[in-house]
Amino acid sequence: MILGDFGTSYTKLWDIEKEPVPRIVRSMDIAGGLRTTLATGHNGARFGERYVNELTALARGAKKLIKEDDFVILDCGSRDLKFVSFSGDKVRDTGWNAECGASLGFTIELLERYYDLDHRRMPVPSTYLPVTCGVLGLSHIFDAIIQGARPEEAVASFIKGIALNAYRFAGSPSKLYLSGGLSENPVFVKSMPCEVVVLGRFVLLEGLRYIASI
Amino acid sequence: MLSGEKAFLQIDQVLMIRNVGIVGMPPREVMFRLKGEGAKIYDLDALHVKPDLEITASYIPRVYCAILRTVLTNAKKMFLDAIYIDVGEGKCSGALYLADILKVELNIPVIQTRNEDNVRFGNPVCESGLPLMEKMELITQGVLEPEAMKNDPVRCEPAAGFWGVPPRDFSILTLFPARTHIFGWTRCMENKTPADAELEKIANPDVPTVFFAQSFCQKTALAYYLARRHPCGLYVDADVYIGHSTRAKVQAFLELNGAID
Repeated sequence: MILGDFGTSYTKLWDIEKEPVPRIVRSMDIAGGLRTTLATGHNGARFGERYVNELTALARGAKKLIKEDDFVILDCGSRDLKFVSFSGDKVRDTGWNAECGASLGFTIELLERYYDLDHRRMPVPSTYLPVTCGVLGLSHIFDAIIQGARPEEAVASFIKGIALNAYRFAGSPSKLYLSGGLSENPVFVKSMPCEVVVLGRFVLLEGLRYIASI
Repeated sequence: MLSGEKAFLQIDQVLMIRNVGIVGMPPREVMFRLKGEGAKIYDLDALHVKPDLEITASYIPRVYCAILRTVLTNAKKMFLDAIYIDVGEGKCSGALYLADILKVELNIPVIQTRNEDNVRFGNPVCESGLPLMEKMELITQGVLEPEAMKNDPVRCEPAAGFWGVPPRDFSILTLFPARTHIFGWTRCMENKTPADAELEKIANPDVPTVFFAQSFCQKTALAYYLARRHPCGLYVDADVYIGHSTRAKVQAFLELNGAID
């Protein structure tokens, strides 16, 4: 049984009978004929025999991995932000920011390539750029560079800005479980003004695995 | 400004009227009179002509309540003899301003009413087991009828709640189970007491409930506040159409809280 989380930039695939862990491939390299038993993600409906909406997959995966009744999980991907807040085993709130929080991960990847930066070596800045969206945030970066900031400083401030925005979007919790591609970005994670637990990039696949088992 | 009663003073106008648009819920007395005169009544809150919200940009901002933009589009494109527009607590301040705009821009009588009807007709449709879409259609069509509906549908035990106004895009309603009870202003509509602020605030704390409002409507504040205080409430607002992310939020919320399989 193959499970697929078909993101905008990257696709996570998992043959749960043959592979111990999922694998990641670039979404642009996915063959059109690929079919999975269960699929989620932005492009999931194109490839899955059954499509599961991303919030449901995120919530199911988080419930499986997190042994608490009250928690908030925030998924920061290439294209959007999603969160689910549980309270007493019930979904207390949920949000999916596909417009105002759009293209954050994708924009960071573009910037790193353009300026030849490595986010693993970037220091966490003390200041941040007030951004809510990757596309609109670009002009803030260019303005900062024009005013004398080095590209790595400007991009790090941009990343910190989107981290703070994502944190507020999730309801400003005291503890936050993070998933998605941006959870692997140290500047992003360390910019969060709360306790952070990183769950990695396969939480939605865990949700699909749980759904497949019931 | 004319009250509901004063609107009847324009009896000569009413006698000549054939096609009448209504906005919100004018008082029952107005509706009785119009029906008695044989007028064909159109609910301008609903879609009657091909959506062309660009037409409204000459009069009101593009970022504005989609329902009121629909009203303006209908009013501009339909051949109406008069419009009765309810303003005040039974509708919204936006309708009050829109009434003035329509009065200036259209060459037909635009009559403001204030619906303060307080005879309660109950909520058999809101609490029935009919599909939510069907319930909503019955209630919105009921605006045209001053009498109570005949043959009340059978009540069901609720599995979920929908609180709010009839949405501009009804497709959100397909996400709910049939055992969804309706609350909020839609409940006031069925009860024929649109200004009943106390009834509007009621929701069932025992079932997961989606608190819906049109984007840019003042009711977003009430929906947001009530959702935050409900034991299992989700606040949602939407503009012209229900987007993919909003649809997913509602679906996940209902599914994860056991309202749907």
